[in-house]
Amino acid sequence: MFGHQGKILHVDIGKNKIWVEDIPEEWRKLYVGSRGINAKLLWDYCKDPDITWDDPRNILIYAPGALTGTTAPASGRTSVTTVGCTTGLYLKSNTGGHWGAELKFAGYDHIVVHGESDKPVYIHIEDDHVEIKDAKDLWGKDINETDRLLKEWHGEESRGLYIGPAGENLVRAASVHCSLYHAAGRGGAATVMGKKKLKAISVKGSKPLRVKDPKKFAEVAEEMRELLRADSGAQGLHEFGTAGSLAGVNELHAFPGKNWQTGYTENVFPITGQALNDGGYLKRRVACFGCTIGCHRYSAIDKGPNAGIASGGPEYETFGALGNGPGVIDTEGVILANEMCNRLGLDTISAGGVAQWAIESYERGVLTKDDTNGLDLGWGKLPELLEIIEAMAFRKGKLGDLLADGLKIAAEKVGKDSYKWAIINAKGLEQSNVETRSAKAYALAFAVNPRGNDHLMTETFAEFGASPEAIDVVGKITGDKKWASPHFTEFRAEIVRWHEDCYEITEALGFCVFTSTAAYGVNPDNMARLYAAATGIEMTEDELMLTGRRVCTLEKAFNVTRGATRAHDNLPWRLMNEGAASGPLKGATNSQEELDEMLDEYYALHEWDNETSWPTRRTLEMLDLKDVADYLEKLDKLPKE
Amino acid sequence: MEKLLLVDMDKCTSCMQCSLACSLIKEDLFDPARGRIKVLKKEELALGIELLCEQCDTYPCIEACPDGALSRDEDTGIISVDAEICTQCGACVEACQYHGIRLHPETDIPIICDLCGGDPYCAKHCVPGAIVWVDKTDDLVKEKKKLRSARMAMYRTVKKEAA
Repeated sequence: MFGHQGKILHVDIGKNKIWVEDIPEEWRKLYVGSRGINAKLLWDYCKDPDITWDDPRNILIYAPGALTGTTAPASGRTSVTTVGCTTGLYLKSNTGGHWGAELKFAGYDHIVVHGESDKPVYIHIEDDHVEIKDAKDLWGKDINETDRLLKEWHGEESRGLYIGPAGENLVRAASVHCSLYHAAGRGGAATVMGKKKLKAISVKGSKPLRVKDPKKFAEVAEEMRELLRADSGAQGLHEFGTAGSLAGVNELHAFPGKNWQTGYTENVFPITGQALNDGGYLKRRVACFGCTIGCHRYSAIDKGPNAGIASGGPEYETFGALGNGPGVIDTEGVILANEMCNRLGLDTISAGGVAQWAIESYERGVLTKDDTNGLDLGWGKLPELLEIIEAMAFRKGKLGDLLADGLKIAAEKVGKDSYKWAIINAKGLEQSNVETRSAKAYALAFAVNPRGNDHLMTETFAEFGASPEAIDVVGKITGDKKWASPHFTEFRAEIVRWHEDCYEITEALGFCVFTSTAAYGVNPDNMARLYAAATGIEMTEDELMLTGRRVCTLEKAFNVTRGATRAHDNLPWRLMNEGAASGPLKGATNSQEELDEMLDEYYALHEWDNETSWPTRRTLEMLDLKDVADYLEKLDKLPKE
Repeated sequence: MEKLLLVDMDKCTSCMQCSLACSLIKEDLFDPARGRIKVLKKEELALGIELLCEQCDTYPCIEACPDGALSRDEDTGIISVDAEICTQCGACVEACQYHGIRLHPETDIPIICDLCGGDPYCAKHCVPGAIVWVDKTDDLVKEKKKLRSARMAMYRTVKKEAA
């Protein structure tokens, strides 16, 4: 087969069964790959709403992109899909690293893990040889030690994907780590692995990948590579990492601090990408498989009491969640907290979000020392922040147990208005570090995101108009470049929906979303041409974008089976009710009125029902999802037309 | 003007584009194991060490071949393999002090960088600039050797630690 390897590997760790299935040809046209085919598989196996995240019938699907393993620039990413534990809804989380390409070279596009084991296991794959192995010597080990042991047993060139102690302890902020320092962090896929007692998947592959038209493929890949080489955003990502833009974001008063109580921090430099370079902490710039940008960092502390501490990152989000958020304006402090999360297998965004809520709850007297394992919590206190992280990962004491269940459950348990400063929306995922009050397309995108309010199911960075390319994208979507400003509410629905489709196909092909929605080298037109050169499946730009729409709609429909309605598409209480502290939009909120206005337009554009937000039969059938409409009708969740 | 390939480990992000590009141009497919250039990756150190034929002055591979299957171009230093004569014994792989030779995963015939006949395809793919094809000067010849020594020193460190 060309492009894909054409195989889905199924492993049932409950029944000890392994089988391989061909990818139906039709799926390559309708769902393309990775995130898209994952969504179809999750629908087929888990659409029954009785299948909760912790049900053995829940499945975990891991898939590199349709083009992963090739010279398509930055195409090495992997989607992990399951019924998420943080929200109980659809979860897709995406990771970089080198594991996905290795899986592709082993001959598989997808792995589906079924069932639940009664003792810790890991899966080892070497091409056609697949084994479920005892993980008793890995269980309890941190990420670094797990990786070391897997390489000792299966070779230095094998690649690992694993959970740390946090995942084993069913902590909702746990993250799936991949090639050590990369992670599918959000939403608790690692918690699902922990529940299934699946510690790791180690893989080594030796099967080449073939494309239909190698010459044409090389031409289009070169076009993308050269566009990215010339792109200032991509250059900045290589030079300073994702955190390179933080000082600029701070200038816009859009860098959330102290649990979204501030948007601007004086002397922000220590928690920027530039500080890693200047302070000598940056040891290497690192790329995911096939990435010509290389935005990832490897940082280390050389001197002082923490000498020898080294890990991947910190990223933009980590400088936010574990730096500006808890008020730790200290490069080494964030490096320490980041290293600890990476080692214990925690998502820095959720871990930081929960920590900030705990600090504010303590400041407000809602939590006392009796609840905090005796810790005197406060802003800017690094030792206490590290204690919080450790308590969470190991569920240590009352504090650990409270925070390990995530903000949704913790705020309900604690009560006393603590939901007002729990930065989650109705779905329940801790928000990523974006100031949505002054960026309205982000606000809408966060509200409708099927996995909760973050920037990783679609990203509308273009609305800032930060580069000529970004302004062009907004012009193309709305018909007028003047709409490239984040303060408008007009045309946000159009901007969000276009980015949903684009983001989806980007991930389905395995590209990093930075290449199409933050930097601009990969776009629907060249993606369609590259997919055709790889597979022989000819699609226009619009046809490829429609596959993105199909998948986004299927993801939405999955949530509808779990009872999601329009009420789930909202934003955290604080952002809807409290004004931004400073800056050009000082006092602005994401009010319900403002959100409703954008939601009405968004649902109309999708041709979904305005009252319930549910997709209609007509819309589903237009997207070749008749079976989905039939199932929703059976559940009485199809809107009347 | 004569050119040379500079390979700088410190700029390498271990993205593998070079190996993939090599397998594409040589064999019309993607397989890092078929790259005439290999990146030895140490994930815990985020390190990539590029290994490839250096067109060196001592060419022990030629001596090592018991069948005389290898030959060297006097002008370019490029090593070629006569597949008819080669017995796939792997002696050249062992002999190369720069760990730049590997056996083809299917045929077991040695695969050796030939600089794509004077226009290395990998260099076009290396956006971070770890592999550059530049005009040859005396200074750059020295620089090439310096970069190579750094890579080999790191290679030995990494292998010693593993053992």
